[in-house]
Order: sequence, then C-alpha cells, then structure tokens
Amino acid sequence: MSRGALAFGLLLPALAVAATPDPALRNFVACPIVRDTASVPCWLAEYQGELYFLTLQADVSAPVNPPWLGHRVLVEGKRSDKPRICGGIVLEPVHLSVVAEPDASCNTMLPAEDRYNLTFDPPRPPGPSGGRLAFNTLPMPSAPADVKREPKSFTMTYDFNGMVNFKTPFQLAPVLELAKAMSASRIEITGHRSAALLSDGTVLQERPDLAQRRAEQIAELLRGAGLTVPAYEVRWVQEAPPPDGVGDYRHRQVEIVVLP
Amino acid sequence: MTRPRAFIAIAAASSLLSLLAIPPAGTTDLPDRWWGPGEGRSWPNALDYSNDSGTSRVLLTGSALATRGHPFFEPLGASGRACVTCHQPADGMSLSATTARERWKATQGKDPLFAAVDGSNCPNLPQTDAASHSLLLERGLIRVALPWPPRGADGKPMDPEFTIEVVRDPTGCNGSPVYGLYSPDPRISVYRRPRPVANTKYTTHENFGVLPFIGKNGLPATRDPDTGRPSVMNLMADARFPTLRTQAVDAAATHLQMQTPLTRAQQDAIFDFESRVYVAQAVDRRAGSLTEADGPSGLGPQALQKGEAGVLGNNTTRWVIPMENKWKTLPRGADEAVNARNAARESIQRGHDVYMFRTFWIRDSMHLNSVGLGNPTKRTCATCHGMHLTGMDTANGWMDIGTTNLPWASEVPLNPWNTARPELPLFKVTCKERVPPHPFLGRVIYTQDPGRALISGRCNDVGTIVIQQLRGLSARAPYFSNGSASTLRAVVDYYDRRYNIGYSEQEKEDLTNFLGAL
Repeated sequence: MSRGALAFGLLLPALAVAATPDPALRNFVACPIVRDTASVPCWLAEYQGELYFLTLQADVSAPVNPPWLGHRVLVEGKRSDKPRICGGIVLEPVHLSVVAEPDASCNTMLPAEDRYNLTFDPPRPPGPSGGRLAFNTLPMPSAPADVKREPKSFTMTYDFNGMVNFKTPFQLAPVLELAKAMSASRIEITGHRSAALLSDGTVLQERPDLAQRRAEQIAELLRGAGLTVPAYEVRWVQEAPPPDGVGDYRHRQVEIVVLP
Repeated sequence: MTRPRAFIAIAAASSLLSLLAIPPAGTTDLPDRWWGPGEGRSWPNALDYSNDSGTSRVLLTGSALATRGHPFFEPLGASGRACVTCHQPADGMSLSATTARERWKATQGKDPLFAAVDGSNCPNLPQTDAASHSLLLERGLIRVALPWPPRGADGKPMDPEFTIEVVRDPTGCNGSPVYGLYSPDPRISVYRRPRPVANTKYTTHENFGVLPFIGKNGLPATRDPDTGRPSVMNLMADARFPTLRTQAVDAAATHLQMQTPLTRAQQDAIFDFESRVYVAQAVDRRAGSLTEADGPSGLGPQALQKGEAGVLGNNTTRWVIPMENKWKTLPRGADEAVNARNAARESIQRGHDVYMFRTFWIRDSMHLNSVGLGNPTKRTCATCHGMHLTGMDTANGWMDIGTTNLPWASEVPLNPWNTARPELPLFKVTCKERVPPHPFLGRVIYTQDPGRALISGRCNDVGTIVIQQLRGLSARAPYFSNGSASTLRAVVDYYDRRYNIGYSEQEKEDLTNFLGAL
C-alpha cells in the first residue's frame, strides 16, 4: 500500500482517534478489479484477503462511478449485510477516489462466470439503455422564475485530492444561474480539504494547498463563465479536520454563498 | 483507381431509377462535380452526386440559392478560394482526397485549393511540385497553424500544462525558422481534414448536454459572443470556435486570406446557407434507395432535415439512426436483382445492430473512461457516437481514441524492406510536474496532433479530437482527423485493433455497409 499511498497523499502515522472506529468500516487503497458478467461488469477490490463489491458499471450521473484499471483507488465504505454481488461483500455506502498516479499493476479483469450473474436488473444494460434515457436529462438550466433576494448556499464535492471534474457542471451551473438571476453583488467561496483515516490506522492527507486551489478554481470558473460583476471573497481552511474514518469525504468540498 | 465519376453517376442513377422506380432527386449539375469560386451557378434544392458506395444527396431547405455574390461561393481573399472550395457538395460538403487529386490533375496544381498558405505541406516548399502538397493529395489534409503557447479567452498567451518538442516533421514546417515552433511567431502546424458544412443544427445545438461548464472536465464552455449562451463545442476538430459565424470569420482570414474581416452581412449570409444544408447518402449501389417512404426513417438527408437536434439516441426509444428493423428480414424471390438488393439491405440492418448492441471493452480513452463510466467500460459504438441522427457526442465531444496519439496512431512500419516513410509530424509532449500525469498515457506523450490540447493547454486533452458526424461518409474519404483511414473498412479495422474487439468478418462487413449508408 505504501507506494501508492505516498504518491496519492501524505502518509501520516495514525492520529489519536476519539472513539473506537466502527468495525464495519472498510477504508483502504487497493487495485480495483473488474469482473465481466452476462450483463454489466462489476467493480471489486480486495482488502485483507476479502473481496468487496464497489459498484456496477453505470452512467455519468450514477451516485458511485466505477474506478479505473491502471490506477489504484481509495475506498471509503461500510460493510453491509446485503447478499454478495459478483462474489464481493457489498460496501454501502461507499466513496471511491481514483489515485491520479498511474499504476500498471492494477490490471485485473476477471471473466464472466455463471455463478456471478446479477440477480437483479442493473440501472442500465451495457449497450444502449432499454427504453429509458441513459441518465437524467439535464438541459441547460434556465434562470429561476422567482428569485428570492437572500443569501443562498451551495456545496461542491470532490474526490480525494480531486479538483473539478465531469460532475462539476451539474453542481456549478445552478450557482451561475442563480447568481445571474439575482444579479448577485458578492460571492463567498470557502475551500476545504480532508484527511482520510484508513482501516489500518493510516491517515492520508490531501495535498496541503488543495483547499486554496479548490476555492480559487471555483472563482476562476465562475468568472470564466461570465460572472464577472460580483465581488469574490475567496478563502480557505488550510487544516483538514481530524479524520474519523466515517465522514471524511464530506470535508472535500467548497462552500459557495451567493449574496444579493 | 480513378473513377469515371460522371459515367458512374449517370449509369448508376439510370439503372437504379429503372430498377427501384426512384424519382429524380431534383436538378443536378452532373457531370460538373466541382464547384469553383465565383462560378455563379444556382444551387438547387437537391443535388445528387455519385460516390463509391452509391449516391449522396445534398438538400437545401427554402428556396434555391443564387450563388453569384454569395460570400460562401465568392473568392473573398488573396488565396483565390471560396468556402465552397473545401466544402464541395459532391464530397458531402467536405473535401475528399480523390477530389483533391482530380483538381491537381485538371489544373496542374494551379487551383486555389493548393494555396501555399495551407494547401501545401508548408508555404516554403516549391509549390509547383506535387510532393509539396502530398498531405492534401494523399490524405485530404489542410495545414492548420496554431499559436504556441495557446491563447486564453482574453487572447493572451497561457501557461500550458505541458511542453512540446518536434520529434519528426517530414513537412519541415514545424522546424521552419519562418513558420515553425521556434520562429518569431511560434506556431505548431497540424494537418486536418475539412469537416462537412452540413447538418449544422446538430453540430451547434443547444439541447442535451449543453451547459455553462464543459461536461468533460468542468471548465467554462465557450460562449456565443452574440447571445452569451454556452456553445456545444462540437464545431471543428478542436472546438476552438463556438459558432458558425466565429468559425467563418477565422476561416475567411486564414484559409481565404481575406484582408478585412467578414462583414456582419457576409457572416449572416454564410450562417443562413450553412443552416439550410443537409447531407446524407441517398442511394446505396447495392441496397438501392435509402429514402423510400416505407424504409428506415433515419436514413437519407430528409431525416436530418426533419429531425430534432441535440437528442441522445443511445437508447431504444430514440435510437441513433432509427431503422425500426425494417430491413431485418426481407423476402427472396425469382428476381435476382431484388434478392441482391434485399441482401444488401439486411447487411445494413445488421451493421446497425452491431453499432448499437455489439459490446466491447473501451479502455484508456480520455474523456470517455474518465467521465464516470469507469476504465474499462463495456459498451458499444453508440455510447460515444450517441447523438440522434448524426452519431456525434451530444455534449462537448472531444475524446482520445488514439488516432493521433502513440501507441495507437497509425505509423509507417520502419524497416529496410519498406520504402514508405512517415508523412505526418510527431511531437513529444511532456506534462509539467505541477499537474498530474495523463491518466492513461503518463507524463510523456508522443502525438501526431495534440488536438484540443493546442487550444486548452491541458495535458489531459493531448490527442483529443471532437467526434465527427457520421452522415455523408461515403462522399468524403479519407477518415479520422488526420486522414489515416482511407476507407470505411479501414475505420472499422482501426477500432477492431484499438479496442481488441474481435469483430467477425461478417460484423466488419455489415458495420462498414451501415456506415456507408449514412
């Protein structure tokens, strides 16, 4: 684990943790494994000799997007009592963050086997969606009809060590539209970063400058999208909150407040 | 092989018309396929031109167009070209390499198409020598000289995420002290196919997937300077211009060498024309008419004319190319000609089914595997080529499938027994330490064309090219932005190799026939 973890984030010795961690938590960094099925592929990962189910192949708008072969993945999940899927213990909820540095050793593709057929209909088949749209239709948002001239808060979420990505447009477009409709005078942006407590007691820290970079990037994106009139107040919280292994992912965020 | 095109057109048309009772498509100007600048011909509502797969049709909505004085058709600049020079109706409103060779032969290289500025491998080469125009003659490529470093939205040089070096340049242009990367006005010359100016309501839609921020990476989308609205960023190989008007202004200044900017009235006239033109294959030489009233509803140019733009077709409700299984199983009888036609139609239908339903593993393709689908993802052609009726991406559509990036780009095998040598430049891109490495190619990338990255300056965009519309393909070989696939079969073979698909020979043939019928 150490090589990937060192490339991924700062590896720190276990910090004092206030309470005994939930024994069902499974937080670890590992190579993802993809298993083919007669339908959509399953994504799995192995930790301490046990196989865990992470997610199915899905769509852009899926709550959990599959990881990448060729990269390790930070898994932050909780062991559930649900029946195994594709041979793996189901982690639910689960948060996945792809490690940016390539790792060619992460290259396991398992063939389909009858015993691992899905016992349920996946959200969509591997080809075109079967009569349903592939994912929610999200046309360009129009300006809200009745805009209350009062401060409104938004939260941008991130993967571990992540900046904006393919999910950003759907989170940031409403901010832009509201600010334009409200003729916002000020936008307050606060960046945060996190630490992640792994099940083996290791703590991973996001990059030290990430809170600042996240906040500044959001301001840059809003200005770049034409929102140049409001005054921007950009700040960041340099220190990551002490990790607890439960909700560490929540601290990977940027808060945006739009003010009239 | 040079096709006797006029005769093919006339013979094929007359035999098909008699066999299939196809009504004439309208006035045609056969056999005069070439539309030269300033000819002043009238552009009718329908133009039919033969190609190796049959006949393509260009529809013009509204009234016929008098081209005399129209800025799309007049030589407005020093190059002597007009827009129509590289957007020929017989070539699906693009330009085929075959046509380029025919123009060279017909004019001994004096046609404005071969203007030194971008119709040759480099302006400093001897212009009367065909070898100086080899990329245009052999691959249908036009030189595009882009500034380095790239310019930001404010027009100022940006600090790109990567450095770039010239590893190889058979054209000599990138090493030229006048035109190259190390010249006083540093530029990178890449060589790209002209894109078809047709079906533009699909390439410029404001429907599904068009947001203020780019769906691939969350960065701000370009915006229409007239309306302030975000653009779909599916124009051109690198999406560097947001609208038809802004593209026309640039093309007039660069390709036409116009000394003054296009006037607003000229822009409007070009926009009006480009918004009215629809192109698709109308007749397949074996399957016959593709536009019969009771045939598949997604074939033929009228489907595009009537269709809704910017709709996701990667589903079994709207479909990418609706065919309604009309040609799934067709009868056989005593008439061998009809039997052969029906067999060809069934092949097109099977090709459609391969396109929609034949899964394979798509791996290490930037802006596909990186946008939430996982790497690899088990999908089909229609996953990326998903826009209803065109097979483009509905959202901002640049992607790296390896056509320009090594190790997947087609390269000449170098060995003592092969006299062929590389034709395209090769660049070494090194992602700077301040950014993560390219997720699938690492920190050092070798590429024939950095694609979108020459505009965005982003490491992850190296080799990404905007997905092309799939209509009128038979009229405009070769394929891919660098002209590396000479036929549609070569396109299919490329995908088979790139993604280790393992298509059967039947699947390859059917898919090729389907693409040829679009």
